[in-house]
Amino acid sequence: MPSATGDTGASETMRAWKFLERGRVAPFGGHIWPAPGGGAPGDWIQPPGGEVFACRSSDLPWWINAELWEVELEPPIRILSTQVAGRRGRLLRRMVGWDDVALHAYGVACAERARDLAVSILLHEGRSADADALRQTRTPLELYRVAQGLATDAATPGTTMVGYVAAAALRAAEGAGVAAARHSADAGVIADGTAGALEREIDWQARWIADRAGLARPVVAAV
Amino acid sequence: MSKVRPEDLVCKDVVELLTEFMDGALDEGTRTKVEQHLVWCPGCTEYLRQFRATIGATRKLAEEDLPQRVRENLLDAFRHWRHGS
Repeated sequence: MPSATGDTGASETMRAWKFLERGRVAPFGGHIWPAPGGGAPGDWIQPPGGEVFACRSSDLPWWINAELWEVELEPPIRILSTQVAGRRGRLLRRMVGWDDVALHAYGVACAERARDLAVSILLHEGRSADADALRQTRTPLELYRVAQGLATDAATPGTTMVGYVAAAALRAAEGAGVAAARHSADAGVIADGTAGALEREIDWQARWIADRAGLARPVVAAV
Repeated sequence: MSKVRPEDLVCKDVVELLTEFMDGALDEGTRTKVEQHLVWCPGCTEYLRQFRATIGATRKLAEEDLPQRVRENLLDAFRHWRHGS
């Protein structure tokens, strides 16, 4: 059995990750997931006529929300391009490393990544003064202002890219981490320009989330 | 800013698909694209929230709750709408 979190496959169920809104609310279904308690998992959820969807680590950037939980999915399991699905699922523990502060930091990190990629492209295009101006920014809002000032046209990859950098920085400054990440990934696609560029950006974001949320750390206590 | 991901839905697409989305009538691929758009787009998320709130509010209404004047205005609007005027 495939596993999102490194299980050996000995169990028939699958462990995966699931983002929920605050208060364990399902983002699209609107129902509240039963919480784990007393060392036991939460009650099983089985949507009528549907499945429970969750993430492998690599899927995380597609589904970000306020709370991140480890879940157990019951077979049959389906592996899809950006998620996994099981017949029913239950919450095992909340990943407390993922919170509002982490989400904000995620947006800032993504904007900074876009900035660094833009600096490389601008240097490659011989625009060292513009690259320096971007590189010297210290806050998302400052980055937004500088990038916006450079985004005068879309004549080259560099000038195209700074528009996405500006969008990512503005969203990061606003605290909209998910939107910042999206614009940052778009900037990365322009910087790379080859097939698979988006997947590589998503992979970078997934590793950032996994590291910040401590997904690789062993279980200490269920929440 | 959609040229980087030409296969993605834009807000206009999502708004047009919301009724089917809420009815569970979309195929899996389209539903996933709508959901992934909603994850990052606060405007469409708010639109969906208002859509759901409106449906929730109108479900509580019985036909007799509608004042006669409002009923006539609505019927008049529907008649003109159906005739394309």
